[in-house]
Amino acid sequence: MNNILEVDSIQTFIGQFHILEGVSLEVPESSITALLGRNGAGKTTTLKSILGLTPPREGRVVFAGKDVRGQRPYDIAALGIGYVPENRAIFRALTVEENLKIAERKKGDLARRAEMIFGLFPDLKRLIKLSGGQLSGGQQQMLAIARALVPDNRLILIDEPSEGLAPILIEQLMESIRSLSAHTTILLVEQNFRMASQLADRYYLIDDGRTVKQGAMKELVNDRATVHRYLGAA
Amino acid sequence: MVNRNLILTLLVLVLLLALALGGLGASTAASVLLSGITLGALYFLVASGVSLIFGLMDVLNFAHGSLFMLGAYAGWTIYTNPRLILNTAPLALIVIAGAAFGGIFAARFAVPRWARWLAALIAIAILVLAVRGLPVDKLVAMGATMTGKVIPTSQAEEPIGAMLVRVGIAFVAGLAASFAMSPRGRAETPSSTRRALATAVVIAAAALAILLLRDAGEQAILGMENNARFVLALGFGAATGALIGALMEWGLIRPLYARPIYQILLTLGLVFVFDQVIRLIYGPAGAFMDIPSLFAGSGNNCPSPDLFAWFSQHCDSILVLGRPFPSYRLFIIAIGVVMLVAVALILQRSRLGMIIRAGVQDSEMVEALGINVRRVFTLVFALGAGLAGLGGVVAAPFLGVYPEMAMEFLLQAFIVVVIGGLGSIPGAAVGALLVGLARAYGDNIVLAGIQLPGMTSAISGSPAIARASTVLIMAIVLLIKPTGIFGKKE
Repeated sequence: MNNILEVDSIQTFIGQFHILEGVSLEVPESSITALLGRNGAGKTTTLKSILGLTPPREGRVVFAGKDVRGQRPYDIAALGIGYVPENRAIFRALTVEENLKIAERKKGDLARRAEMIFGLFPDLKRLIKLSGGQLSGGQQQMLAIARALVPDNRLILIDEPSEGLAPILIEQLMESIRSLSAHTTILLVEQNFRMASQLADRYYLIDDGRTVKQGAMKELVNDRATVHRYLGAA
Repeated sequence: MVNRNLILTLLVLVLLLALALGGLGASTAASVLLSGITLGALYFLVASGVSLIFGLMDVLNFAHGSLFMLGAYAGWTIYTNPRLILNTAPLALIVIAGAAFGGIFAARFAVPRWARWLAALIAIAILVLAVRGLPVDKLVAMGATMTGKVIPTSQAEEPIGAMLVRVGIAFVAGLAASFAMSPRGRAETPSSTRRALATAVVIAAAALAILLLRDAGEQAILGMENNARFVLALGFGAATGALIGALMEWGLIRPLYARPIYQILLTLGLVFVFDQVIRLIYGPAGAFMDIPSLFAGSGNNCPSPDLFAWFSQHCDSILVLGRPFPSYRLFIIAIGVVMLVAVALILQRSRLGMIIRAGVQDSEMVEALGINVRRVFTLVFALGAGLAGLGGVVAAPFLGVYPEMAMEFLLQAFIVVVIGGLGSIPGAAVGALLVGLARAYGDNIVLAGIQLPGMTSAISGSPAIARASTVLIMAIVLLIKPTGIFGKKE
């Protein structure tokens, strides 16, 4: 299987703070890879480092065979990476439709993928004229994922999708993400271990800014000691 | 939320209206109102740019009043004295062409910091060499511009050969500048190289064309019918503002996005630089620009009895409730309204507007969508600066051109955006209207005094009242709503 993304021992600083001290991971095409770790381990910073939002000082970020480290975030994203940030970052002053339209990289992107997107998130079709600020948390999460599907993205980075959502919504969301993986590759950051373990094929475990463990998700589920040690009681 | 804004706005408007109408006859009130809206239209043209730029980039551009002033000077100069522009614009353009051309090579090196400084110093030194001894004073002195100092164009201009040498030197200055400005560690693609090369060639060709055709160009411009020449001045003033604004953002503000205090120091410093450059070229005295003949007609049937009659008569004034009101000021109002609608349409209907509205909230997410936000920042800066430049030319036949207009309009624009709410275009429009009306009403108090019911004689105010009134409104709005009428909660 080809790796769409390879991250090789990146070092990232935010201000004075050395946040990532050697994170490495590989994301095989057409899979869901989970990035696990406790709060403050550096999961979000890893995603931001891939996109160049917090540019790494050392290491390599290879996307689709190209080293993109040091390029501007918009150049990296335009190569085909979608981003669903932790706070969802829905544009409140834009309508739902505009929130999708703004993600177009070629004219007609939205029209081409409307069927797929509204098939995954039928609710969005009903809300299309509302402004982003009027949506509930769950609806915003759906919109944030839908927005990442509008252009031709080969990889989507999803940060903590279940955060702040009611259990019933989490079930729905898991269903959506699972069917999404038929169209694209996903790198998923998730605190909710039950959710991550049901969705992902592979996992990377990071702690204190380093990759400490990796492997097939099935093995981790049975490795109680590791889960307990790095993710707390789960 | 929206209702509260609306109520507050209406309340203040009604209050002003009542005050204005209070001791005044209907015709005086109408003319005070129209004067207020005229000023409001000009304030809007400056304040909208301040507000847009702050909303998107969090940059408080103190130099925005200067862009207004530069626009006024540029428009007035091309209108009355195009030879000055035709002889100096090629030098400015060729520096840009040189910088674009040099950027192709500079981007291939990781230029160390000390080398950047060295390149900047060398660029400035070469530029000084390029313009040294340029007979600017002779070019400025022209019949229509400076009374008593008429120098024929042929004697004021330098021979074409000398100018070509200057252009060559200025090109080298641009090359050096590109090494001072080259982006850090950005991969150059073949398409970006081609784009840069095309830009450089087009600008250089334009510079040479202007230079070689300078005499024909001067005759063509001065020979234009004066209304057409005025339209040219409007376009040129706006373009000058936009170009200077874009260069400012690209060259000076871009490296400082992470440092707000430095931006304020920088833009404030530019106010003084622009002020001194204008004084150096034109002297400290101001000048008046002619009102184009479309708004300057006179004769037996003037003033025009109404707007429809004006369309065939082009009188210098129109009767409003029996009192003549200058028709040019109605044109200023029209420009203000047209620009308000244009800005609103761009923001609400275009993709650029969509990106701006999104970027105001979260420019990092916009960037993560693969949108080149830096280019959008430069565009918005150019747009805001272009509006200010246009405003300057529009104001020139009404208020004249003079160096101090920069500070005056900067101050009013800041008051406007504080009242309306930073970052909001409707806020800028409403704020500009309020400030304009307050000024006009204050001016009227100074002129005619105020007589409320029950007073035996009118109390007249000092001119300070007109200026203080706008600050007073600002204080009241801030007390009721600290973020301004349309401002969002922090």
